[in-house]
Amino acid sequence: MKKPRKMIYLALLVTFGIVLHVIENMIPLPFPIPGAKLGLANIISLLVVVFYGIREGLIVSTLRCIIGALLVGSLSSLLYSLSGAILSTIVMALAYKYFKDIFSLVGISILGGVTHNIIQVTVASLVLSTFGLYVYLPFLMVIGLFTGFFTGLTAYFAKQNLSTTLIKINFVGEENINNET
Amino acid sequence: MITRGDKTLIIFILLVALFIFVGFQVYGFTGGRTYAIIEVDGNPYQKVSLGEDGPQLKINVPVPYGENVVEIDRDKVRMFYADCPDGDCVRQGWISRPGQIIVCLPNRMVIKIESDDKLTQKDVDAVSF
Repeated sequence: MKKPRKMIYLALLVTFGIVLHVIENMIPLPFPIPGAKLGLANIISLLVVVFYGIREGLIVSTLRCIIGALLVGSLSSLLYSLSGAILSTIVMALAYKYFKDIFSLVGISILGGVTHNIIQVTVASLVLSTFGLYVYLPFLMVIGLFTGFFTGLTAYFAKQNLSTTLIKINFVGEENINNET
Repeated sequence: MITRGDKTLIIFILLVALFIFVGFQVYGFTGGRTYAIIEVDGNPYQKVSLGEDGPQLKINVPVPYGENVVEIDRDKVRMFYADCPDGDCVRQGWISRPGQIIVCLPNRMVIKIESDDKLTQKDVDAVSF
């Protein structure tokens, strides 16, 4: 009885992620820096990591990137967003697992956002074979810091709300949500 | 909600970003020599090598409708004088990095900076992320 519910909920989360991914692509940003974006889909990755764990987080973010790229992106954007999403999900999962006493969800989200940007710059400079792209790294890191801060706040409030709702309708086990702050 | 670890993390990331930024500003990322290329009406007029040991000189460039003066100061270039009515190129000031460009549209003259470095030669300007 548990497994189909989990699958349905993960599929729902993938859908939310895709919608955020598409909406994010429609928002113009005031920075002339390639690769700067809001990272709204990061909220979903973070929530999946919190509620289910690293394996489910990787599945959801990979699916989200592939389907999102089919909808709005191109092959190169798939490359950048997929590598960034996978690595940032791994970093966020590890940070949540081992350092959740030190960092709140905001800190974990900042880590994820900054990792995403670093990986993106690395992959882009490998693809284009110009390491001059690292000039953008400090700006991208600061932008990732701010966007990570606000997506982290969003994830924090969403988690507070969802954790009561989800236990009530039995979508997640109580063992996954034990540290209420 | 925001723990002490978060604040430390934020400060740490800001410091790292500042460090990388300052590193790039100090050391730059261009290894090769840079050249200022002066073009009139689409044709190359003169190519000057820039750098710490570069020349300090003013070049009079005859243009179709008058005369422009380009000033070169070791590693940077500017339009010193232009007899065009708007003078936007003079107000633009000094340029020194590869890829930068000064255009004097009325007099059909362009100063651009190029590098012979392999890494920066392939200019990346529009990549879809």
